[in-house]
Amino acid sequence: MGLFGLSKEASPPAPKISSDGTPIAPDRSQRARCWEARDAYFVCLDKNGIIDSISEKDKAAKTCAAEGRGFEANCASSWVTYFKKRRVMEYQRNQTLERLKAEGAQEMPGQLGPGGQQRS
Amino acid sequence: MSKVFVPSKNLLATFSRALRHGNPQPISAQCQRLSTITTPGLPRTAPQPSCLHSTPKTGVRTFSTSPQRKYKTVQEQRSRYRSGPFSWKAGLLFLISGAGLIFYFRYEKARMERKRVAEATKGVGRPKVGGPFELVDQNGKPFTDGDMKGKYSLVYFGFSHCPDICPEELDKMARMIDLVRASAPSSAPPLLPIFITCDPARDTPAVLATYLSEFHPDIIGLTGTWEQIKQVCKKYRVYFSTPEGVKPGQDYLVDHSIYFYLMDPEGDFVEAIGRQHSPEQAASIIKSHMGDWKGK
Repeated sequence: MGLFGLSKEASPPAPKISSDGTPIAPDRSQRARCWEARDAYFVCLDKNGIIDSISEKDKAAKTCAAEGRGFEANCASSWVTYFKKRRVMEYQRNQTLERLKAEGAQEMPGQLGPGGQQRS
Repeated sequence: MSKVFVPSKNLLATFSRALRHGNPQPISAQCQRLSTITTPGLPRTAPQPSCLHSTPKTGVRTFSTSPQRKYKTVQEQRSRYRSGPFSWKAGLLFLISGAGLIFYFRYEKARMERKRVAEATKGVGRPKVGGPFELVDQNGKPFTDGDMKGKYSLVYFGFSHCPDICPEELDKMARMIDLVRASAPSSAPPLLPIFITCDPARDTPAVLATYLSEFHPDIIGLTGTWEQIKQVCKKYRVYFSTPEGVKPGQDYLVDHSIYFYLMDPEGDFVEAIGRQHSPEQAASIIKSHMGDWKGK
């Protein structure tokens, strides 16, 4: 189930089943736990200078093993992939912005597209 | 131009006397003056005899058949000629109507600006956002576009397994609903918040009921078959990428547009509210559009 497929326990608890037998999406507290675990994992990645934990997954698995397990234990695997990709995307976006700023580009009023100020 | 030109009595008397006695001298000055009145373009240097000769023997009749003028006397005409077509009355009228127009245009300009946004999608040849649909709400009851008529609807597309953006936006939506309800003009149509899932395979009515109750009790959650959802997304110009025929337990994400669509009581798109708007800004946009609604 998990992205790395390493351990069985690194997957979120089975979702609650609704009255018509369909699994219910994570509720507010489950989401909060997932985001917390994600932030902890990303803090660890930041400390070790890892941006893309998908392409550098061996290094990430070695240095941030505990946080990675916590991340996967609290978030659905699709969410894990989504957040990891998003981290890379946001990093690249910030790099581009800084590069443009260094080149003397003028900032336009308005805001970046979807997810612009998510965690920055 | 309604007044008939009537020469003054003594002028007529002089004229007829001159005709009777065949003496052109005493009327020459008057004749010249009259000729400048009736034919302003005539050069003043026209020979005086020709003035007399051109006048038929029945002089009085000539005057009565001459072009109609609006001045009773030569003096009146002269004074009008000196002051031109302007007078203090005309000036005052001009200023009053001018001030009135300026006031009117300023008042209309602000209203028209909002109207322009609201009506950008009305009429022929405009991109159409929204349209008829048939879905099911979170209680399993059918819900169509007809249920949106007569209310301002705030439509949001999302799915319950959305990692981070949808929950944030739904929290924002809940705040917007409360802000608008707290201070909307009482005459305005009510606000109807709607959540349409892009992920019908996993978002059954029961799932939506549980999910949405976390945000705001008044949000109506709509779902349907894959085909129905695809059609409604197409009508609202929402990017739809949900794979067909997924199994309920499967773990996947759905890409979708993340705008709030404000629809007017006739079901026409008014304005899109995006992530850059705070709930307060969004609520004030919604309220000003609601205040404009006159009911058609």
